[in-house]
Amino acid sequence: MEGFGVNFAFWTLSAVTLGAAGGVVVSRNLLHAVLFLILAFIGVAGFFVLLSAEFIAMAQVIIYVGAISVLVLFAVLLTPRAGRDNGETAMALPALLLAIAVATVFIFVVNDTNWTTVAKSPELATAELGTALLSTWVLPFELASVLLTAALVGAIMLVRSREEEAEDALA
Amino acid sequence: MALPTLVTEHWYDLRDLSNLSREILEGADKILPHGIVYVLAALIGFVASFLIFVLPSQLIVGVYGERKLIGRMQSRYGPNRVGPFGLLQPIADAIKLMQKEALTPKGADRAVMYLAPIIFVAPAVLLFAVIPFGPKMILADINPALLYFLAVSSLPVLAAFMAGWSANNKYSLFGAMRIVAMSISYEVPLVLALLGVVLFTGTTSLQEMVLWQKHFDIWIVFLQPLALAIYFIAVSAELNRTPTDIAEAESEIVAGYLTEYSGMKWGLFYGMDIGYALAASAFAATVFLGGWSMFGLDKWVPPWMIIIGKTHLFYFVFIWTRGTLPRLRIDQLMAFAWKFMLPVALLNLVLVATERMLWVEQELDDSYLYIFAVVNIWAALGAIWAWSRFLGYRPERNPVRARLVNEAGGYVPVPEAAKGGK
Amino acid sequence: MTDAIKTEPFVLNIGPQHPSTHGVFRIKVTVDGEKVLDAEMVMGYLHRSMEKLAEERTYTQNIPFTDRTDYLSSMANNLGYCLAVEKLAGIGVPARGDAIRVIMAELQRLASHCMAVGAFTNDTGAWQTPVMWAFREREKILDIFEMTCGARLTCNYMRIGGVAFDLPAAFEPAVRKLLRELVPFIDEMEGLLVGNEIFLARTRGVGVLTPEQATNASLSGPLLRGSGIAWDLRKADPYCGYEQYDFDIPIGYQGDSFDRFIVRIEEMRQSIKIIKQALDGLPGGPHSTQVPLALRPPQGEAYARVEGSRGELGYYLVSDDGPSPYRFHIRAPSFINLSALKEMTVGGTVADAIVVLGSIDVVVGEIDR
Repeated sequence: MEGFGVNFAFWTLSAVTLGAAGGVVVSRNLLHAVLFLILAFIGVAGFFVLLSAEFIAMAQVIIYVGAISVLVLFAVLLTPRAGRDNGETAMALPALLLAIAVATVFIFVVNDTNWTTVAKSPELATAELGTALLSTWVLPFELASVLLTAALVGAIMLVRSREEEAEDALA
Repeated sequence: MALPTLVTEHWYDLRDLSNLSREILEGADKILPHGIVYVLAALIGFVASFLIFVLPSQLIVGVYGERKLIGRMQSRYGPNRVGPFGLLQPIADAIKLMQKEALTPKGADRAVMYLAPIIFVAPAVLLFAVIPFGPKMILADINPALLYFLAVSSLPVLAAFMAGWSANNKYSLFGAMRIVAMSISYEVPLVLALLGVVLFTGTTSLQEMVLWQKHFDIWIVFLQPLALAIYFIAVSAELNRTPTDIAEAESEIVAGYLTEYSGMKWGLFYGMDIGYALAASAFAATVFLGGWSMFGLDKWVPPWMIIIGKTHLFYFVFIWTRGTLPRLRIDQLMAFAWKFMLPVALLNLVLVATERMLWVEQELDDSYLYIFAVVNIWAALGAIWAWSRFLGYRPERNPVRARLVNEAGGYVPVPEAAKGGK
Repeated sequence: MTDAIKTEPFVLNIGPQHPSTHGVFRIKVTVDGEKVLDAEMVMGYLHRSMEKLAEERTYTQNIPFTDRTDYLSSMANNLGYCLAVEKLAGIGVPARGDAIRVIMAELQRLASHCMAVGAFTNDTGAWQTPVMWAFREREKILDIFEMTCGARLTCNYMRIGGVAFDLPAAFEPAVRKLLRELVPFIDEMEGLLVGNEIFLARTRGVGVLTPEQATNASLSGPLLRGSGIAWDLRKADPYCGYEQYDFDIPIGYQGDSFDRFIVRIEEMRQSIKIIKQALDGLPGGPHSTQVPLALRPPQGEAYARVEGSRGELGYYLVSDDGPSPYRFHIRAPSFINLSALKEMTVGGTVADAIVVLGSIDVVVGEIDR
């Protein structure tokens, strides 16, 4: 990382991402929280761009902003009384503890990892990622897809058992 | 791949406008203090993009041309009062919109409602960053340009949702719900269709796709007509254009998520709708229609003119469908996306993968591409026909003429043969 | 888990200010997501108290009122009212008057169906193109009305005992030219929409009315015929000499919105056929019988009905031997056809409800009178 531009971008993105993450926690309107979450996702994608991992940045935006946040929006819209005041909740303390635990683990991992800089053309990163996924890491890759398929089937089963009319709604 | 072009580096070679701008900036850098040149670059970019793209495409073709063409299709004149042939109508509209008060309804979520048009505008501008307008006329020649396009074009859905949800209006909420519900349905076949292109050309960079098409002298639309068809349908759903303008369906939910917007806030949505349509057209022209290449013609005609022309050609199809087709219902669109487009896109993917395998592994001649093209065109027609028949599409069973009876009486039973399905 | 995901039905007001309510009319729709659970019609925004006002005016003075009930088919309304008065007072109409009335009523049916078909396609989302085409043709018909009686929309052309003026010399060639132009237009319109997949998907099976439902709700016009019931007053209870013309009753198959559409298209063809026959056999002689200006029909009541563009258009008059009707009542087809709206919309989606409303082809001036 060198140059004023990169530093400026890094600090701006940090501020935006952390601020948005804080907003998710603090905001009392569920929909505002979702929008903050999306902003945090976009901030993370910016970090990937800074690291020259363009492919991952794009994947981050497509999957998290384009797909997952839409699902979260769905969930919020389907939640009864989504607009209520979420001021106090019984889960505040456990959530805080969990957050601290996760943060601790991450800090340890970051400290213990031996970070090396690889002088490699970022142009090839996408192709190498693809090759690695389908050769070295093919088993976890396939397992993940099986898991996703199972989740999909499960979701369909959940909806279907609730209401048989859903079938002919699409017919 | 090397750039096979006659374009020189001289500033007067207008076939590539980057020469001119580079010349100006380098000259300015010698005179002016350090750093000012960036400001100058931004100004030149602004003026140039306005003169080359925004004025001819967004204003003249997008606003004026669309209204004029649709007017002709509907046997009326279209704008013809302001300026010569009504050409200044878009500017008059913009002035009018800026003067209007932008109302915010009581009980609306002010911050979100204020932000939504801004978030809607930004991606439309960003999308053009990766479109190659010429051999060197490209702002960001990044490797995953195709993914960038997909990623950025998924953002306006969120802006539209914010607009609809924040306005405290039931029609707006309907629009927001619809746009969110639709978005996943059409994005899956869209991505699968583009995946076939990526698979065949072996790159996700748009510039390299253009060079690939130029190198083999064949446009991808001939190799993968099915992909273009799916892309067109899916993207018209994404852009909210007829026949899939479900989220702003005028006759049903007034204006969908735009119901409560007025003044220039609404104008931003309207203008950027055209911006997105032009961006999607430019993308399709790049990926499917050979981008700035034109079978050797790009040596003589400025490539940026070629791609703008192709963009307008594609945009014309958008206008045409808008002037012709009724609107689908949301469940019909989703059923169409999942039941028809998704299987057909998968079929296209399998076919393309097989051909790519054959072509690369067997080290076949380039002329096999033309054989693949013929095969794929027939496969596309066959797949569309066979899959729609399989799904129960039987147009011949649908009676299109009313029965005629000469005597008044009671109920006339429908003959069994004429009982039509859907 | 499944109980936690609950959707709340909410009420959506479609109208009175809405692009697709064809006037000031309101449907209170209770929806669960997109699905319509209940539909309640709220009408009366255009009420002008016509039936009461008519009791204060003479029989002839009431004719302009009838223009303004169903303002898209004023000729048919004129005709229905005049027939009722003639029945009440026992006045005959000369043969030429009858033929002119038939031509005008059928031209009005063409104009009204142009509007109905165009507005219906607009409701399905065909962005204005079919409606503009239909308007273009309708303009030509209105030009002919203007040539004949000076007015385009509220014609006030029929009189008790005949029609107000005889036809101008340019009338016949103009109508023949119009009919020549209308035939390709109808084919074009049919070609644009009937073979269109999206249009079919939006209208086939939407708003189905079984023959039983249609008869029980006392529907009439294209709605009834769309359900497969061959009922047309021009055949069943001929007036103005309709029995001498050769035409057919178009009927639908399953009673959905698409059937109503093709019935209307076919009715336009049959109207052209009738006009041609009427023009060919246009008798000479007076166009109207002389009727005293201050008409005082004998005590009694009369009900006359015509097949309007939207169905059975009936006028019920009670006379107390005075110069103005004691009671004046209109059986407005739109109003009665609308009573089936709830049956047709509940269970469908909001988008379907708009299509169904368009397929009924309501005119609010007639509903609220």
